[in-house]
Amino acid sequence: MKLALIGIGGLGCRAVGCILDEQTDTQRAFARENALVCDIARAPTDELEAVPDVERTVIGDTSPHVTGDGIDGGPELAAQVTRNDLPELRRTLDSVAIHESDAVLVVVPLGTATGSGTGSVLVSELQETYDVPVYVLGVLPADDDDDESALLAARGLRTVVPAADSTLLFDGELWDLTPAETDGEYDETTDEGLRELATRVIPLFSAGERDGHRVAENAVDSSDIIRTLDPGGVASVGYASATVEPDTRGLIGRLLSWLGSTPDTPESTDAAKVKSLVQQAANGRLTVSCDITSTERALVVLSGPPSELSRRGFESARQWLEDETDTVEILAGDDPRPRSSTLEVVVLFSNVTTVPRIDALQSRAVARQRDHASDGPSSDPH
Amino acid sequence: MKLATIGVGNAGSKIVDRMLEFESKTDRNLCRHVHAINTARTDLAKPDYIPEDRRLLIGDTNQKAKGHGVGGDVEVGAEVAQKDIDEIRRAFDDIEIHQVDAILVVAGLGGGSGSGGGPVVIDALQQMYDEPVYALGVLPGKYEGGRPALNAARSLQSFVTKVDNFIGFDNDAWRAREQTIEEGYEQMNRELASRLVTLLAAGETDDSDVAENAMDSSDIIRTLDTGGVSSIGYAATSVETANEGFLDRWSSDQEEPRDDGSQATKIKGLVRRAVNSRLTLPGEVSSADRVLAVISGPPSKFSRKGIESARQWLEQEADTVEVLIGDDPRENASRLSAAILLSNMTETPRIKEIQDQAVDAQEKIAAQEAVREEEIDDLITDDNNDLDPVV
Repeated sequence: MKLALIGIGGLGCRAVGCILDEQTDTQRAFARENALVCDIARAPTDELEAVPDVERTVIGDTSPHVTGDGIDGGPELAAQVTRNDLPELRRTLDSVAIHESDAVLVVVPLGTATGSGTGSVLVSELQETYDVPVYVLGVLPADDDDDESALLAARGLRTVVPAADSTLLFDGELWDLTPAETDGEYDETTDEGLRELATRVIPLFSAGERDGHRVAENAVDSSDIIRTLDPGGVASVGYASATVEPDTRGLIGRLLSWLGSTPDTPESTDAAKVKSLVQQAANGRLTVSCDITSTERALVVLSGPPSELSRRGFESARQWLEDETDTVEILAGDDPRPRSSTLEVVVLFSNVTTVPRIDALQSRAVARQRDHASDGPSSDPH
Repeated sequence: MKLATIGVGNAGSKIVDRMLEFESKTDRNLCRHVHAINTARTDLAKPDYIPEDRRLLIGDTNQKAKGHGVGGDVEVGAEVAQKDIDEIRRAFDDIEIHQVDAILVVAGLGGGSGSGGGPVVIDALQQMYDEPVYALGVLPGKYEGGRPALNAARSLQSFVTKVDNFIGFDNDAWRAREQTIEEGYEQMNRELASRLVTLLAAGETDDSDVAENAMDSSDIIRTLDTGGVSSIGYAATSVETANEGFLDRWSSDQEEPRDDGSQATKIKGLVRRAVNSRLTLPGEVSSADRVLAVISGPPSKFSRKGIESARQWLEQEADTVEVLIGDDPRENASRLSAAILLSNMTETPRIKEIQDQAVDAQEKIAAQEAVREEEIDDLITDDNNDLDPVV
C-alpha cells in the first residue's frame, strides 16, 4: 500500500524517522517524498531536523504562547494554534501528494498537548480535504509519565478515534520511548522502542507492494487493509518472527532430495512452525494489550522465503485465529520473499473494544482532572 | 468443442492460465478466446499464458478498489464490475463468436472479485450472445473461514441462476497436505485444468471423417443443457508410445487385434476409476441427470466393446438413461484418459455445509455491526463521561 506518513510533535518526528530508516527494502509503503513532519515550535527543532529529506513544517512560530520548548498551554491552545496556521499547513500538505496515496498514517503522541491538540485538528482537516482513509498511529503515555499526559491522552482519544478511519495504538508503557542519545546527540539508530514500532508497521502496510518480487498466491493488497480497518475504532498489532534458511538453501535441499538424500527438515515442521508463529504474534505482546475476542476484523500476513510458507500451517493458523477472536472477518495473505532469512507474521486486530489500558488511562485522567478542579481556584492568583 | 474462456478474479485467472498450459502441452486447442478480468493489478501480472492484451483491470478508477482488489468483499466486487460494465462489454466485442461453441466463465467464489464480478460478467455475456454460457466455480474450503463461505453461498445463487450450467470445484476435497502455499495452489489448479480441458476439448475439430464414436460439441452442450450444478470425474493411464508399438509389431510380425478383450476391460476400468475418483465437487453420482464420458487418447487404444460396457455400467451407476459416451482421438497422446461429466448432480453435501457456515457468519457479522458504534463510544468515554474531547 502506498502511504503518506505524517509525524506530529517530537515523538511523531522521531517515529517517522525510524520508520523511513528501518525500511531498507524496495516496497512502496513509506516513501520520503510522501512524508511530512510537523511540530509546534519557535524554530525547527532537533527532532524535526533529524529526519532527512522529508517535508517539514513548524507551526505556531508566530504565536505568543509558543516558546523555544514548544507550546505553553493545553491541547485547546495547541488546537487553536494549528487552526490559525491551517493555510500554511495546507500548502505543506499539498507537497506530500496525499491524493496519490492509498491512505495517510498520522503518528500522534497522544500524551502531549501538541499531539492531542494538533493531531485532532489535522486529522479532521485531512478527512475534509482528501478522500483517502486517514489512519492514526496513536502513542499512549507510560505509567511513569505524569498524570497530565494520561489526561491529554484520554481526552485526545475521544477526538482522534471518531475523526480517524482507524486508530492503531502503541503503548508507551510496553516500550522505552525516551529519545536515544549517542554522545549527547539524538541517534535514531538506537531508538529501540520506535524501531519496534517500525518493525510492526512496515510489514503490515507494505505487504503486496514489492515490485519485481515474486507475486504472492494470495497477496494482501491495500483494499484488504482498508477493508479490515473499515469498522474504525481502535486497532492493535501483533508480531512474531523466526530465523529460517533462505530459499537458496532450499534449492540445494531440493537438489539433494532429488539425488536421493533426505531433506533437512520434514515439511510437517514447517506447518507447525508457521502455526506457532501466528499464535505467538496473536498471544504475545501486542502494540496495545487488548482482549482479542473483542476484535471485529483481523488481517494476518505471513512473509518469508516461499519454501517456508506452509499452506497447511497457514490454513490451520487462520482457522485458529477465527476461533480465538470469534470473528469470521479474517483476511489472510502471503508475502513471499525468496532472499529473506526471516519468517515473519504480523496480525492486525481491528476495532478491539476491550482495552484495559484505555480504562486505566481514563481513571488517571479523571483523578487528574478532579485535582485540577480543586487546585484551580486556590492556585489562581487573581 | 471450442470455447471463449474468461477468468474473473485471482483464482479464475490462474485456472484459465493453467488450462492454456495444459492445452499447449497436450496439443489441444480448446480456448479460442481468453480473457482475464480482475480488480487487482498485482494479480493480473501473474499469468504465463494469457496474453497481456487479454488482461482487463477493472475498478482502477473506483475509490473502493483503485487497482488493489476489493478486500474479499463480494458486494464491492459486484459494484466495481457493474460500474465498469461498458469496458467489460467492449472487451467481449472481440470475441469472434462464430468461432466458438460456448463461453466458459471461471471464478473463485470465496473472494470478492470473482464472486461479485463473475455474475455481472455472465449477465453481459448472456445479453450479448446466444451461445450457452457455463461457469466453473471454485468453492472455498471450510478452513478458509466464515467470510469466504458467506461470499460463496451468496454468489453461488447468482451463478447457478444465470448460467446454463455450473461446474463446481471444492477446495476442501482437493486440499493439499504437505505443501507450501505456492505449490498447493499450483497443483490444485493443474488438476482442475486437466479435467476441464480433457472433457471440453473433445470434438474441438468436429471433423466429419473421424470415427463414428467421436464426441462432438453438440453432445457436450446437450449434456450441460440440464442447468444446475455439475461435477467432473477423471482418470488417466499412460500408454506405450506409438514408436514402441511399431517396434513391437515389427519384431513379432503379427497384427494386434484392435479390439481385444483386455483393451475393452481397460476402457471400462478407466471409466469406473474416473467416476469413483475424487470428483471436482464430491456428490452422489446417482443424483446426476445426464452423464457424458469422453475417452481421450491414441485411437489404437480405443475399444468399441469397452465403450459399450462402460455405457451400461454408467447408466446403472448414475441411474439415468441419458448417458453419452464417445472418444476423442489424440494420435500422439501418451496417456489414455477418461473425463466424466455428471450434469445436474443434485446431491452435493459440500454446498449445504457452505450454506450453514454462511448463515452463521452472516449472523455474527450482523451482531458485531449492530453494536459497533456503541462499543467504540464506550471504549473512548470514561465511566461517568467526565472527560471532554479536545476539540
